[in-house]
Parts: sequence; C-alpha cells; structure tokens
Amino acid sequence: MIYLDWASTSPPDEVVLAEAAALAASVFGNPSSKHQLGETAKARLDEARALLASAIEPAALPRGGSSPTWPRIAFTGSGSEADAIPLLAMLRQALEARRDSRIKNLHLVASEIEHPAIYEEARLLKSLGIGLSLVKPAKDGRLRPESIAGAMTADTALVCVMAVNNETGAIQPIAEIAAAVASTAKTLGRPCPRIHVDAVQALGKLPFSPASLGISSAAFSAHKIRGPRGVGALWSAQGIEALAVGGAQEGGTRAGTENLQGAWAFACCARRHAETMERRYAGARALETRLIEGLAALGGALPLPLGRAGMDERYSPYILSIAFPGLSGEVLARALADEGIAVSTGSACASNARHKGRRVLDAMGLESELGFSAIRISTGESTKAEDIDRFLETAHSLYRKLKP
Amino acid sequence: MDALYLVKIGEILLKLGNRKEFEERLRGQLNKKLAGIPHSVNIMPGRYYVCVPEDRAEDAEFILSRTPGVNGYIRARKTEKTLEAVFEAAVQVAKERVASGLTRFKAESRRSDKSFPLGSFELSAELGARVLEACPGTRVDLHKPEFTINAEIRERAYVFPDPKPGLRGLPVGSGGKGLLLLSGGIDSPVAGYQMARRGLALDAVYFHAYPYTSKEAHEKVMALARILGSYTGGITLWTVPFTDAQLRIKKEAREDLTTVFMRTAMMRVAHLLAQKIGANCLITGESLGQVASQTAENMRLTESTTDLPVLRPLVGIDKEDTILLAKEIGSYETSILPYEDCCVLFSPKHPMLRADHEREGASYRALDLEGLLAEALSKTERLDIPFAISRP
Repeated sequence: MIYLDWASTSPPDEVVLAEAAALAASVFGNPSSKHQLGETAKARLDEARALLASAIEPAALPRGGSSPTWPRIAFTGSGSEADAIPLLAMLRQALEARRDSRIKNLHLVASEIEHPAIYEEARLLKSLGIGLSLVKPAKDGRLRPESIAGAMTADTALVCVMAVNNETGAIQPIAEIAAAVASTAKTLGRPCPRIHVDAVQALGKLPFSPASLGISSAAFSAHKIRGPRGVGALWSAQGIEALAVGGAQEGGTRAGTENLQGAWAFACCARRHAETMERRYAGARALETRLIEGLAALGGALPLPLGRAGMDERYSPYILSIAFPGLSGEVLARALADEGIAVSTGSACASNARHKGRRVLDAMGLESELGFSAIRISTGESTKAEDIDRFLETAHSLYRKLKP
Repeated sequence: MDALYLVKIGEILLKLGNRKEFEERLRGQLNKKLAGIPHSVNIMPGRYYVCVPEDRAEDAEFILSRTPGVNGYIRARKTEKTLEAVFEAAVQVAKERVASGLTRFKAESRRSDKSFPLGSFELSAELGARVLEACPGTRVDLHKPEFTINAEIRERAYVFPDPKPGLRGLPVGSGGKGLLLLSGGIDSPVAGYQMARRGLALDAVYFHAYPYTSKEAHEKVMALARILGSYTGGITLWTVPFTDAQLRIKKEAREDLTTVFMRTAMMRVAHLLAQKIGANCLITGESLGQVASQTAENMRLTESTTDLPVLRPLVGIDKEDTILLAKEIGSYETSILPYEDCCVLFSPKHPMLRADHEREGASYRALDLEGLLAEALSKTERLDIPFAISRP
C-alpha cells in the first residue's frame, strides 16, 4: 500500500505508542487524586504539557517563572473538540449576555473553507440564533485579511480561520488577519473579538507559533503527526470559559479525567516533529515539486488551485489537490485504492448532493466540474520519491483508461 | 399455547380451473417463509390456518402481512364446539377491543356444522347479549360497528375480531418468473413489488459499472433486493459487470444517444439472462416522461433488443404515488441513500428525447455490442438472498 493520505491520519509512531501503553499501565493514578499515584500522574501530565508547549512555542519555555495561572495548553479528546470549545463558549456568552441588555446580538465570522469541525459547528450556532458571516477565499485558496475584517460587525465576538487548509494546503495569513481584525475592532470602537485558529494541518509541519500571531486560541490534533487518536490540544492565550464543565481539569477548559498516556504520546510526537521540521519540510517540498512537475509532464491533470507550482511558499508542501477533468475524483480514488494507492477526495459522490463535499473548492470559485474531479494527495515523512512516481504512473494510466 | 392465525384468501377463489395449483403455491410460499419456525399450514375450504408457537406470533404476522395472495389474516381463538366455550372466547376478544377504547360492535356467526345447537342468527344474537353483559359501556351497532366479533363453527369453533388486511393479489410464482432490472433508485423496487403482487416470482439484475459505481451502491442494491425478497420469499440478484459496455458506448456513440443506447444494451443483457434463467418477462421501473430517456419512442428502441414482454407497472404512475408506495413497502429509506452511481459522467447534457426507431436502431446495431454483452453476461455474478424477517 502506498499511503498518500497523511492529512486524514498518519501512521502511528510505534515506539511512542508502545511507551505510552506502558505508561498507561504503570502510572494509572488520577492526576486529580491527592495520593502518591495521583501526584505522579499529575507530574507526568505537567511534563507532557511542558513538552507540547516547547514544541508549539519554543520561545515560551525559558520564561518559566512567569507562567500564567491557566494552562496555555489544555489537552482535549480530539482536534475537533479543541475547535468546538471556543465555538460553544459563544453559547455560554450568548446566554450570559441575556442578562446584559447592552449586548443585543452575538456575531461570528468564519471562513468558508474551514474544516467541518468549525464549519458545521458555526452553522449549528447560527441555527441557534448567533449571527454568522462566512468569508470566501480568493481564487488562490487564501483568505484576504480585508475580507475577514470586512465581515465583522460591532457584535462580532469570535473570528475563526484555519492555519492550513486541509484540501488545498493553502497557508492562511494568520498574523495579517489578526492585525486586520484588531484594527477593525478599534475603528468600530469595540473590544477585539477572539480569534480561533484550527492549526491541525500546521502543527509539526510548518512554523506556527500562536503566541506571536495575535490570536486567542488554536486547535491541534495528535494523530496527524503520528500520535494516537483520541487526543488533541487547545492552546489559548487567556483561558476559555467552556460550555461543558465538570471536574475543572485542564484549567476548566476541558473537563474529564485526563488521558495521560495520550497527552504524553502527543507531546513526544510534537516535540520530535518540531525538532525535525526543517528537514522534513525540505523533503516534502521536493516531493511536491516532483509531483507537480510529473503531472505537467503527463498532461491532462491540473494541480489546484489552478496554476499552483512547486516550491510556492503559500502552500503546504504536504497537501496537494489535483483535478482530473472529466473523471470523478471519487471514481479515480476508488480505482487507485484497487491498485494499492491510498488517496482521498472531499466528496461522497451523490448525484443529489453532487458537490456537497466540494465546499472548499467551490468557495474558491473553482468551476464545479473541476472540483468534482479532484483528489487530494498528502504526504508524510516516510513518503518516498518512488511512491510519487508510482502514483503518477498509475493515476495517469487509470485516467486514460477510465475517463469516459 | 400456540398462536393460530386464520388466513383469508381472495382472488385465488376466482381461479376455479386451477384453484388447487394456486392454493398450493400460496401454501408453498408460506411454508418457505415460515421455514425457520415450527409451524403448520392447513388449507380448509375458503380458509388457511397457520399455527406457530406463541413467541413467534410477531414473525408470523410479519410474514402474513407480506405475502401476496393473502387477503387478510387474524389471530383466532380455537375452542371446543360448546356454547359456553364460544361465549367465553367472544367475551375475551371483546374485552381486548374495549381496552383499546372501542365500544360499538356487532357479532357475526357462520356455521358449517349444522349439528351446533344454535343457528347463525341465534348465535350472533346470543353472542351480542353476552358481550353487552360482560363489557359495560359497549353497544351493538349493526351499521357502523367499530369492531366485529366473529364466530365460525366448523370442525372446531373459531372466534376472532376483524381481520387485518393482507397484500391481496396472487401467490408469488403463479404467474411464472420475471426478471427485474433493479437500480439503486426509488422506482425499480416498487415495480418489482407490484409484479410480485400479481404473482410473478422475481430474479433481479443489476448493472454494475465499477469503479464508476461504488461498492456502496452495489450493497445498496443488495439491500433493496433483500427487501423485495421479504415479499417474494427470497430473491436471486444477478450483477452484470457493465463498465466495458458503458465505456464503449460513451466512446463510440453520439453523445445525445449514450443514455438510450446504454438502456438498450442493458435490456439486451437482461433478455439473454432471462432466457438463461427461464424468466418469461422483463420488469422495469420506467415511468412515462419521468426522465428524458423514458419516452414512448425511446422505450420502443430500448425494448427492440428483446422479444420478451417488458412489463412497466409504473408507466402511468405519478412519481409522488410511487414514493408513497416505496415508503409503504419499506424500500424508500434505502433507495434514497446517497450512493447514486456516478453515471453523471456518462449522462449527456442534452439526451435524445425521441429516438428515431429506424435510424437510431441502425446506429445502435452498428456499435456491434453483442460480443461485449455476451462477455458481460458470462462474467455475471449470482447472489442468492434468502428470505429473512427484518422489521424496519
């Protein structure tokens, strides 16, 4: 099996997984317990948190003494949960606002290319009465800071933009967006809204340092960087008053007995990715370029967004969507799977909801027939040049055979 | 205590000439569906009696409600042929009805055993009196009763309320065997159901264009076949690999003709398969004008590759009515699962609405698909789906 679906999930790091299993068996105390086993567990959890912090914000570690009273990093059950927490906190804010007659409405700005964890949650909030503005990217798949700022109203309480799009790999100008949001809030004479960033496809792959970006929170997931499923993290600048409460674990951000072994494995994987980021990035760029140039040589297939070339710093080298005009992406993905090559599409082919899964590509203004024909290739550290060549060869011959 | 069902049969009674055969067909169907349950099916004049263990009563009702040829059925109390036993049973039946809020009733009796002490009229009157006495608040209403207490004095006495409606129609198999062209849509399962109700045994054929159509689409068709099989007592699904034929048509035919030619080719394969399995007709879910390809002109072309009758029970049925029926027979929820095939790739933007029989027929024949279609038939896979009780 040639695995080119790393953006969906990555093959786990077996060494880390084995160590995590051993940790789960030996340090089984509840970190909230006051006996020795609990204290040991608490200590290991704090280590994991510090380790993850050092991976996310290398510069923040030496400051030591001035650590905030809330944990900047709260472990969660998934990246999706880390996204849901700041969004659902709006509900709490909205209900509390009913007591404060000055606040009439709450408003949320999100991009139209967000992961479903944000997009569907935002639509749910809208159905519950919170104002929602969705912002389209430009044709290059990138959001324009002025578009985000332009969607703000005096009631905007939260802005959601992702760091790296999971279908196109487009890297979003987060710092510029944050600056535009802050200056617009100033013009409106309102406090700056919170800015939440889904950074699931950025962590360990591209430099992403939330503290330097002017944002309020960021979501991460372990299994995208060879860690286990069922663990994510939410970084927050000021803590978040979550809607789901309970045992006040994770500084009250995420209630529930902590997944120590998951947190520990996540932190190890993140740390290792941080240390090897530059080397892996160079490798991924080489693969991306090989792929894009290979496609051009074979003819017919088109990298998305149209015109994307290799070595373009605006896109993550790990993710590339490719259109095969005239052939459904789902059909090609199925045929590739039969040839032992795993890729993905954003869509479930359904004639009645034909473009449902192509929301991201549609939002970029891509012709729907092209979006319909797209597959997504995503690579990782063990992807080899031969894998790319084999993909190119197989995809090309299948395309010729299957294009009706 | 075993659960006894009294089963009314309808149209079979009209078939005086071969009534015996029809009766045996129905008995065979019931035996087949009840095979996993200890049971008996007895044919008495004008009645079937089906007996199952008490804990399988629900299964028996599922089966009786889904078997063409059954006009109605009802759980009956079988008693000694004594007045007291019959009265007691009648009061029990009445109490159950009264418990569900009904009050106006009438009593009806039939007596084939003339040695019974009361005549039908007197027995009905006496039954009414006993029920009135035992169930305060009830009253007799001969014209618009809310429920009926029936007593039949035959070899034994049977007491029962109003029968539940069955599917009516004719026993499956009494009309021979038909081959249903089954897609994943709403119409074809309904068409199959309609013909099964008219006494056709069914095999189904599905044209699978992998990888253009997904495994999920194929599984959905299997699920639809299984639902149909709950009416017909199991079903055989034939899956024809159709990708090569589809690609050839797409490549070589004029774009606007691809849809109608694909249907023509499917009809041809269905014809060949029908001959192989001994089916005497083909069944499709086509409805006049529903989509561009389903015009009278196009039907003439598509059916020109078979000389078997092509039965289209939905041809004059409005789509909304078909949907209602699909919901009723339990296929709708499966049909609307979003695994519609990716045939959009093969669908012309402006399909031919009225194929000229001579001209387009000639251009279809010029494609010379016979070899390709015979090969598809030879690679066709057979799946026998046994009858199963599956309540929604």
